[in-house]
Amino acid sequence: MKPRRARACPNAPLLAGLAALVAVLLPTPAPAQGAAPRRISVAAAASVRPALEELARAFEAARPGVEVAISTGASGALFAQIQNGAPFDLFLSADREYPARIVEAGLAAPADERVYAHGKLVAWLPAGSPLDLERRGLAALADPAVRRIAIANPAVAPFGRATERALEAAGVLAAVKGKLVLGTSVGQAAQFATTGAADVAFLPLSLAAGEGNPLAGGRIVPVPEPLYPKLEQSGVVLARAREPALARDLLSFVTGAQGREILLRHGHGLP
Amino acid sequence: MDLSALALSMKLAGLTTAVLVVLGLPLASWLATTRFRGRFLVEAVVALPLVLPPTVLGFYLLVGLGPRTAPGGLFQAVLGHPFPFSFAGLLVASVLYSLPFAVQPFAGALAGVDRRYVEASHTLGVSRLGTFFKVTLPLAWPGVLAGAVLTFAHTLGEFGVVLMVGGNIPGQTRTMSIAIFDHVEALEYGAAHRTAGLLLLVSFAVLALVYGLQGLRGGRLLSWTGR
Amino acid sequence: MDRALTFEIGRRFPGGPAVDARASIPLDGDPVTVLFGPSGAGKTTVLRALAGLDRPDGGRIAFGEEVWFDASTGRHLPPQARGAGLLFQDFALFPHLSVRANVGYGLHRQGAAERRARVEELAGRYGLGALLDRRPSQLSGGQRQRVALARALAPRPRLLLLDEPLSALDAPSREALRGELREQLERAGVPALVVTHDRTEALALGDRILVLVSGTIRQAGPVHEVFSAPADVEVARVVGTENVLPARLVRREEGLVAVRAGEAELLAIDPGGVEDEVYACIRAEEVVLEPDDGHASSARNRLRGAVLARREEGPLVRISVECGVRLVALVTRASAERLGLVPGARVAAAVKAPSVRVVPRRR
Repeated sequence: MKPRRARACPNAPLLAGLAALVAVLLPTPAPAQGAAPRRISVAAAASVRPALEELARAFEAARPGVEVAISTGASGALFAQIQNGAPFDLFLSADREYPARIVEAGLAAPADERVYAHGKLVAWLPAGSPLDLERRGLAALADPAVRRIAIANPAVAPFGRATERALEAAGVLAAVKGKLVLGTSVGQAAQFATTGAADVAFLPLSLAAGEGNPLAGGRIVPVPEPLYPKLEQSGVVLARAREPALARDLLSFVTGAQGREILLRHGHGLP
Repeated sequence: MDLSALALSMKLAGLTTAVLVVLGLPLASWLATTRFRGRFLVEAVVALPLVLPPTVLGFYLLVGLGPRTAPGGLFQAVLGHPFPFSFAGLLVASVLYSLPFAVQPFAGALAGVDRRYVEASHTLGVSRLGTFFKVTLPLAWPGVLAGAVLTFAHTLGEFGVVLMVGGNIPGQTRTMSIAIFDHVEALEYGAAHRTAGLLLLVSFAVLALVYGLQGLRGGRLLSWTGR
Repeated sequence: MDRALTFEIGRRFPGGPAVDARASIPLDGDPVTVLFGPSGAGKTTVLRALAGLDRPDGGRIAFGEEVWFDASTGRHLPPQARGAGLLFQDFALFPHLSVRANVGYGLHRQGAAERRARVEELAGRYGLGALLDRRPSQLSGGQRQRVALARALAPRPRLLLLDEPLSALDAPSREALRGELREQLERAGVPALVVTHDRTEALALGDRILVLVSGTIRQAGPVHEVFSAPADVEVARVVGTENVLPARLVRREEGLVAVRAGEAELLAIDPGGVEDEVYACIRAEEVVLEPDDGHASSARNRLRGAVLARREEGPLVRISVECGVRLVALVTRASAERLGLVPGARVAAAVKAPSVRVVPRRR
């Protein structure tokens, strides 16, 4: 290094490198506010995610300049976030109870709640599974050969609760209780199944029948409908929405003709 | 596609590091030089996030700074939006969670500066603050940098606290690690692979850049303190 | 104007000795005062208290009229406000700054041009010109000492404190630089307080000396007086050099010098830099007593005389001998018996040339 007046300052090249790094970090996509594009934030149950993605794209196509941001999870978890002030515009739950509680808490108007689908519970098995659920029904789950059964956590997921009721109705709940593996949502329960961590998973048909996802190629065995209470699913426009008009439009779209067609194709029951 | 998540992660990591350098250096300096008998208590509090599950920290932050509490109300009054589910909230949570990753290396580096240099500076008429910037910090620089890099890398990978406090709002609180989790839950394994790979690549590049630049000065770092 | 640095410094250490040092150092007379004492006596405590780096438990420090510390009022001026330069034992040069930046460090309040000029001035005076752009790690011990001195003097301090300034150097450098340091202190024009435990250093550097033993100052006065007339046994033990003989340089030969002390002529190794008036210093342990017969010995200095007095000190005996100059020797009791060393007995005192340390004497 050429001698020069040393300064009590470290490492010029290093500082330059760090400054460059900082310069790269700072510009971020600013959240779209007000000016185009207009952004609508949707919280949706994991079960409706595949359908919702298609719905969102169709909605965006029909309304240029609108962007739909989707956050999915277990309905219960999303409900908790909304209670704590999460900035969503629209909430699509996997049941009617959470939306009802939201209305009760004054976080939405009663008129803004609408049923958009009803859920269909199925059991999903890997293609080569020896488990003969088709002929023996849910009783087959009590077999010692079945080691782990993946379901969504009943505490926060309506489909998980429905699964529990179905197992109880089939008389095998006590026998299989120790084999249950709880996913944070139906999405995680599905993941347990695809990775082989579980022998069988109880999922919404809308997820199990998805195209091109890791579940494709497995066996789907519908759970008989009398075994679980009807899973009506509603969506609600939130009172604190930043784009209430757009949210209502989207809800109408979902429950309208085009929306129903998309939902049906994805394996949802229709009201 | 997940570029907004990448940008968000980088921004969060960068700002957290910057905040912790500004706030952490004075705290570390105090810890390194004070003879206060309760120092060990302060050290324990600073080290808490090391052992605390991130979800616990996130939970208490939500409870303590939620819109219905007094501090939360203040937060909202100043910033215009509530604490949870906001980038500002994430920043606060990140700073708290990464606190020991910054303060501990900082304190170690500052304490490692021979007290005599500080004293010499004082006898030559330079104030305590002046001495900090002219003598202590330059001599502690390698350790301070290590702390900053550690903080940055640690924040990049943060998950539990972000999930609890931030939710999963695209463009605002969906960092890379959350995005990966999200993809997996949605059975979008391909996207999960790509996002995880991107995060790994970026983290590695950042660390390599910093250590490489440090290494350019190579032996010089040793000669500052060697004889 | 008779200003003085007056201090009373009290410090208690948990489970250890207490320091209670009181003295008054005139600031306008002799330039260099030595604070002398064995390790652990409390010298560093006193120095750091004077510099403002440590706060004593009790007492008072005043520089002329200015009170730097007063335990009764709680006043404690920080080092930045005292204008007291400090030369650390290991120099404490800032490793991340060049020599130029080190020397100019204390000049931060001045303009750039002024600073540059002052640094150049000091570089010239201390021979640092070629070193200005180097880092401390690239300097030798002696060079670092000069830089440290220049750095301490650059801001024109009112007082200079030196903590064992030569102890960090190896023995040859120490010898060589001792005289140089004294000159530099004289020319600096700043009252200096040098802390040391080395007797030769005290003699070479100091005009006045304060002897610190176990935390208290036992004796103060001109250096050679204190050394040759210790106030009590403890001071004598600390000061250690029994024989400090005023002498004159007679001639130089082959790396040796011959000096005349009293009636005797002594040969010593030439340390360089000595002029006319010197002290010849010989430790009592290094005076060998022999029977006064004519046999040769390797000692270049062999002085014949008689025993003056004898004093028992445990296993040793202290014998003073008149042999053209008064010498004190320390021998074992067995030897004293064997040689029949009683007052009046004839004896020869032999001292090797390397045992005679010649040190310049001023005035």
